[in-house]
Amino acid sequence: MSGKSTALKLLGLGVLLAFPFIPFLSSEYVVHVAVLIMVYAVLAMGLNVLPGFCNLLDLGYVGFYGIGAYTAGILSLNYDMSFWIVVPLAAALGALCGVLRGAPTLRLSGDYFAIVTFGFTELVVLFLTNEIWLTRGPLGMPGIPPIDINLTWLGIDWRYDFLSETPYYYLGLLMVAFVYVVMCRIEDSRLGRAWLAIKEDPLAAASCGINLMVYKSVAFAFSAAVGALAGCFMARWSMFLAPDVFKFWESFLVLCMIVLGGLGNIKGAIVGSIVLIALGEVLRVVLPHFGLPTETRFLAYGLLMILIMRFKPGGFFPAIAATSKKSRLIMDLKARLQTERAG
Amino acid sequence: MFEQQLFNGLTLGLIYALIAVGYTMVYGVIELINFAHGEVYMFGAFLCVTFINSLGVPLFPAMVLAMALCALMGVSIDHIAYKPLRKAPRLAALITAIGVSIFLQNIAMIIWGSRPAPFPRAAVPQYFSEQAFTLGSVSVSGLQLFIYVLTTAMMIGLTLIINKTKVGTAMRALAQNATAAALMGINVNRVIAFTFALGSSLGAAAGILVAMYYNTMSATMGYNAGVKAFAAAVLGGIGSVPGAMLGGVVLGVAETLGAGYVSSQYRDGLGYAVMIAVILLRPSGLLGKSVGQKA
Repeated sequence: MSGKSTALKLLGLGVLLAFPFIPFLSSEYVVHVAVLIMVYAVLAMGLNVLPGFCNLLDLGYVGFYGIGAYTAGILSLNYDMSFWIVVPLAAALGALCGVLRGAPTLRLSGDYFAIVTFGFTELVVLFLTNEIWLTRGPLGMPGIPPIDINLTWLGIDWRYDFLSETPYYYLGLLMVAFVYVVMCRIEDSRLGRAWLAIKEDPLAAASCGINLMVYKSVAFAFSAAVGALAGCFMARWSMFLAPDVFKFWESFLVLCMIVLGGLGNIKGAIVGSIVLIALGEVLRVVLPHFGLPTETRFLAYGLLMILIMRFKPGGFFPAIAATSKKSRLIMDLKARLQTERAG
Repeated sequence: MFEQQLFNGLTLGLIYALIAVGYTMVYGVIELINFAHGEVYMFGAFLCVTFINSLGVPLFPAMVLAMALCALMGVSIDHIAYKPLRKAPRLAALITAIGVSIFLQNIAMIIWGSRPAPFPRAAVPQYFSEQAFTLGSVSVSGLQLFIYVLTTAMMIGLTLIINKTKVGTAMRALAQNATAAALMGINVNRVIAFTFALGSSLGAAAGILVAMYYNTMSATMGYNAGVKAFAAAVLGGIGSVPGAMLGGVVLGVAETLGAGYVSSQYRDGLGYAVMIAVILLRPSGLLGKSVGQKA
């Protein structure tokens, strides 16, 4: 057991050390896929907040991804705003939308929450498709400028445009590291423990003095802001947006990532995004050989979800909380309480 | 004009109701949103057309065959995907249901292609496209009349099964309290399988009717219809069969009138908006009983 975990740690360390050098060792395509993985890793970590930390199944997460991306697209194209100003604006707007979506659903849980979030993402896509004056509708938004670092406003004559994949790679790495650290800090804070309590049993948490409304709202805002951040980065990186990108399929893909990695496990979310994006790229190459459209790769994802839930309900890296001794004690207590209540 | 819209909405609503009862029955007995129900509906349409096109089966036997196969499909889905998770957390079952839905949708894409396909014109009887009769300013086509008669007959049949037969009583008992029902000697898994079979065959019938009505079908058609039918089930009060029927009709009418008078682009959005509004304002729906939170 310990030998295995040491080997795993060494492997992880090796991957971590190799990461900064990937752009020098491989092709533009590999770097592109790596950046894609980073975008999804951020999305997965952001989504993880609701189902993973609070046990609320969010099926509309890409709605915030879309809101962030379109905010970046519109502000950068029409108002020529710098990426560095757009990011906080988009994150703030995302957080606002998250609270607005969350506020009426505070009383809901389980299936009803899932279905409301599901409706939300559809409404976002409909809005993006139909409000042509703002989003150009189905035509999409081409020509979004790349990210740049511009110091002329400081009086220094220096400007750097992100014209290849490499700078995006490093910025993406920075973004993933930032979100990861923030997530870990939060998980280990008062806020994170309040969320854990809500996840285990909302009623018990409320009776222990945890204000469900406040803590859930913070979770909604935080999760949405991270999604908007990923969207912002994606818009300026891919330089093109279309409403179709933000359909339910994407929500499902991100959900697959965190379920595969283990709901509630932050590292698991990153591993899940690496595995599924890599799998997606492989299938994208393989499927056309069998005369199948690349969309059918979701077949594999669907099957994967069914199998994981059946045989590894905690994912491949179950959240520590679910296996620790303390948590087992809580589970036992809960089970006993339930039988007493039922009887 | 208004009367015609209202009537068209009613036709659509009856079809939604047919799908919605499948959702609501499954939710009633195992408390799971069966996301794959929309895919069963889609398979119904494709199987029926495949029987007609490839095997030359006439329309009505093809319908019955497709419904029977979809009933089998519903039972298999439950047996393979949901049954092992009966005691698992709700989240696991819900995620599995989404997985099944995505899986089936992609299977359909592989078998029948991802582009929309037409319903075979030649198989549809001539009198379906003709005007059957006019009622004031409303003109009713043969197909609409057929949809009316068939859906109403199915609803009546379903109500009779639920209220008058032994298995229907068992279903109601299960919806009340599964443990107590099992203690009374009800074979829980058999009743659940029956529920899936019944709901899936009605869903398949709805899929065939929609494909005929709009003369088109696609591998992704189950997605939208599924959400709308679920909205209808929620609207009427999930778990309540008469509620699902009422919810379907109300949603169909609201959608058609909304598309006609407000905005046709947001036609699909109306279903979601109605659903969200109902969940927020009256979570137990129009005919649902409000239940306390289960421990």
